[in-house]
Amino acid sequence: MGVRGDGSLQGITAAICPPAPLLARELTGLDPVIPELRRACAAAAERLVKTGPEVIAVVGLGRRTAVWPADGRLDLAAFGPALGTRGGSVPGGSVPGGSVPGGSVPGGPPLPLPLGLGARLLDDVGYSGPRLLQSVHSGEPAAACLRLGAGLRTISDRVGLLVMADGSACRSLRAPGYLDPRAAAFDAVIADAVRSGDLAPLQAMDSDLARELLVASRPGWQVLAGAMPGRAPSTEVLYEADPFGVFYLVAWLAGE
Amino acid sequence: MGPPGRRRSSGRAGGGVPPVQAERILRLGGRSYGPQQRLVMAIVNRTPDSFYDRGATWEETAAMERVHEVVGEGADIVDIGGVPAAPGAEVTVAEEIRRTVPFVAAVRAAYPDLVISVDTWRHQVARELCAAGADLVNDTWGGWDERLPEVAAEYGAGLVCSHAGGLPPRTRPYRVEYDDVMADVLERTLALADRAITRGVDPSRVLIDPAHDFGKNTWHSLAVTRRLDEMVAAGWPVLVSLSHKDFIGEALNAGRDERLVGTLATTAVCAWLGARVFRAHQVTQTRQVLDMVSAIRGERPPARAVRGLA
Repeated sequence: MGVRGDGSLQGITAAICPPAPLLARELTGLDPVIPELRRACAAAAERLVKTGPEVIAVVGLGRRTAVWPADGRLDLAAFGPALGTRGGSVPGGSVPGGSVPGGSVPGGPPLPLPLGLGARLLDDVGYSGPRLLQSVHSGEPAAACLRLGAGLRTISDRVGLLVMADGSACRSLRAPGYLDPRAAAFDAVIADAVRSGDLAPLQAMDSDLARELLVASRPGWQVLAGAMPGRAPSTEVLYEADPFGVFYLVAWLAGE
Repeated sequence: MGPPGRRRSSGRAGGGVPPVQAERILRLGGRSYGPQQRLVMAIVNRTPDSFYDRGATWEETAAMERVHEVVGEGADIVDIGGVPAAPGAEVTVAEEIRRTVPFVAAVRAAYPDLVISVDTWRHQVARELCAAGADLVNDTWGGWDERLPEVAAEYGAGLVCSHAGGLPPRTRPYRVEYDDVMADVLERTLALADRAITRGVDPSRVLIDPAHDFGKNTWHSLAVTRRLDEMVAAGWPVLVSLSHKDFIGEALNAGRDERLVGTLATTAVCAWLGARVFRAHQVTQTRQVLDMVSAIRGERPPARAVRGLA
């Protein structure tokens, strides 16, 4: 990596993982449900770490746009009341397979779920370097997201970006948002942009349509687009599927 | 569908003091029920596509047969609905009325004293149904239509105040989170109960329902089940609708046709914790579970006890 002549990448590398609650192994109960998705996310995080970034910025949806303490932790209590510190506990025990039994550990404050999932991905691949946890509010306008991304790109000479984002939730009759015929085309724009490394189409993502298709990650995609305004010369899609009618994409994008 | 929003409440808002409740009598139609009576509400769908019965009672004759059957099995209440909870083809107000109103009128004519509940969230539909003889408006979508209570009040009908986490009707939960799911259930249902009596609904005809699966993932539904005593302690009669729902399927890895045992187990737990009305597909089995719980609690003598007594 390095700063290219046209300044397009400036040593930024990005990984994309979906902020799906079921990434947390504890939440899916006895059945791992989609281990292949978790493996793909771990692989993406590992590749991100291996590029040797000076800092990794995790970006995901939150109730406000803010930087969170770097020691913030994943807290699952809001999704699985039996798993966290609030709302009681499961009598008799823990759920197998979680890297953080019980869904919470001592440490920093509880993070918004997308950031918590991202932080755990970094923990699980052994990353202990500097991290910046950036939440983005769902209503953040495109221009602000692009600016935020451009800013993240310059926080260091070698920046790693872990964007917790996914597509629509309206891809089948069983999907959370039921079948919406517009979903496939919407998601295809995302997939094509990531696959080609040309993220410009994400800058113009239609926020109203995104809301209708339950694409809560719209700001995250635009932060990514702002951080990588030029064409990423190297991209790889590690996972692309919609097993629950939600479009998941795990990918890695890098400069040279 | 927007995200329903994570709730920061500590619950018990709304100041909803159930005024009944020295004797905690529940009134439905012309009947009164004490706190130790556990009632079976039999589901009768006038839909071609509801998830469990798959349209078995879509035809009016089949639906009336179903009513005869559940009454014969000892159902205390029939709950008639014309719109499935799941998303799907739109059912307009006019179509919902067409599906349910003549049928409710026919059931009323056949059974003058039967307690008839109607499963609708729309006040226009509820108005026609109450005029046709419904006794209880079962609003499973958490008070989405603000005018529902005035209709119930106008006709002297009861109202079920349920928790759907703020989701619009016929939508699925998607990454729903609660700081404290039972606090949110209490806050919303008690506020709805308050609203109902403010608008003139008879307080002895108001029930609250945590609405398992509605706006909830499986962990949330299990938590509200585990903590149902907190809802009962609020003082309003608690209705639970558990029958064959997804949280049971996910808890047991059981398909649509394999959830009866889980349903009945959950029924027993909810009965033990104080729920009073149980919306169900299987009347006979549900009745038996409730009678057994009542017997264990010492609130119902054994049907026949001779063992060791001869």
